[in-house]
Amino acid sequence: MNSPKRSDEPIWWALFSAGGVCFAVFLPGLILILGFLWPLGLLDASLLQYAQLLTLLQNGYGLTGLAFTCAVICLPLFHAAHRIHHGLHDLKCSYSGVAKLLCYGTAAALSMLALYLTFLLRLAG
Amino acid sequence: MTDYQLLVQRYDPEHDGEPRQQRFTVPGDHTTSVLDALLHVQQQLDPTLGLRWSCRMAICGSCGVMVNGIPKLGCKTFLRDYRGDIVIEPLAHFAVEKDLIVDMTQFLAHLSAVKPYLINDYSGTQPHKQTPAQLTKYQQFSNCINCGLCYSACPQFGLNPEFLGPAAIMLAQRYNLDSRDNGKAARMPQLNAKNGAWGCTFVGFCSDVCPKQLDPAAAVNQTKVESAKDFIISMFKP
Amino acid sequence: MNTPASARKPYQPELSRSWWLKHHYYRLYMLREATVLPLLFFLGCLLYGLYCLAQGAAHWQSFQLFMQQGWVIALNLLAFAASLFHAKTFFALFPRVMPLAPARLMIGGQWLATLLVAAGLLVLLGGWL
Repeated sequence: MNSPKRSDEPIWWALFSAGGVCFAVFLPGLILILGFLWPLGLLDASLLQYAQLLTLLQNGYGLTGLAFTCAVICLPLFHAAHRIHHGLHDLKCSYSGVAKLLCYGTAAALSMLALYLTFLLRLAG
Repeated sequence: MTDYQLLVQRYDPEHDGEPRQQRFTVPGDHTTSVLDALLHVQQQLDPTLGLRWSCRMAICGSCGVMVNGIPKLGCKTFLRDYRGDIVIEPLAHFAVEKDLIVDMTQFLAHLSAVKPYLINDYSGTQPHKQTPAQLTKYQQFSNCINCGLCYSACPQFGLNPEFLGPAAIMLAQRYNLDSRDNGKAARMPQLNAKNGAWGCTFVGFCSDVCPKQLDPAAAVNQTKVESAKDFIISMFKP
Repeated sequence: MNTPASARKPYQPELSRSWWLKHHYYRLYMLREATVLPLLFFLGCLLYGLYCLAQGAAHWQSFQLFMQQGWVIALNLLAFAASLFHAKTFFALFPRVMPLAPARLMIGGQWLATLLVAAGLLVLLGGWL
């Protein structure tokens, strides 16, 4: 009996898991602050002013910004892509190369964009 | 004694185009199980009702049915816990042969596919030795009674019958964790495939319905970790 | 003559697209998966924020104004709720995938991490304390 083909799922699942940890541990506090407390002026948000935030993210040769972007944008993007890819299958849109490309491709593209913008920060200010 | 209303799915392959429901009124008390009620129907009301059963004590795994849409063992489900009409249907996601009898061939094929036997090159006559700690590692996963409820609960199996499914993958893990076994490499190809461990999205309902509380979802997802490790190792092999 | 084999006509039911509406366990599963949708909105906001940050102080102002809009706050509150529901389910599943320690310890530990991060961000960005 022929052995079935090895799936490449471990790659996407690993990204999904890492992204899931980030989504669960980092995002709640961040969303609370950036999405709610800061816009409603409920914080003494001195570090959220332009110059201060820029300096914070440029810290350590821009590594702070890079770490922030990877943990809070890139990994959660792949987490979302994985759930959407499998969610489509759950809704009886069967697994196809197109769906996979769209999901992980978009995550990769947006991650690239985020990393590029983060790089731009090093030059800004 | 109370009168309970049962709505039982009937299907006669020789006369019906599709299944239909039939109502039965069954007397019962606080000890009456769904299996007792179905046997009452078969023995006193309608001898043409087809169903599987054997031990009556939740160990043989034969009497699986859907009770109000949830996979249950008939012998372990009691009428006293239900109000109104109790809908009894054959186990979901399997083809219905007749009435409450389903075709378990796919289930059995998946169990066989994971090589569920000790694989080692031991040819001696002495029994294997195993410490209690070594036994604990796989013991929970070895208590499966092959009832198939987890397959009825699993939407991924429902969407794709090629998916190995909870019991089969748990069985593979049972052998992979057994200290007497050396056959992990032989089992991994099936588990590494998209219809192996990767067909699972951790819905987790299988663990909810398992009558022996074995947590097959945990077994399947631990297998994903093993498969991921196997994937990385394979990248370094020529 | 009818043999038992020839009398077979198995009826294979097909799962409908709305299978997940049939039981609350499945609905909760779909809700759990759907938590990534509000997340995507917030990630979009973050990308916009990064862009504005890179463009200069004036753009950062407009980002601040954007985040203050009613519908944005509403969606981000949804994203916050989604992140908490995701955390609850994710932390509960993790010990079953990798039983490194007693489940209660692992779940408590993960929640502690989330709280510490939130507190840390409040101190750092919010001038808390």
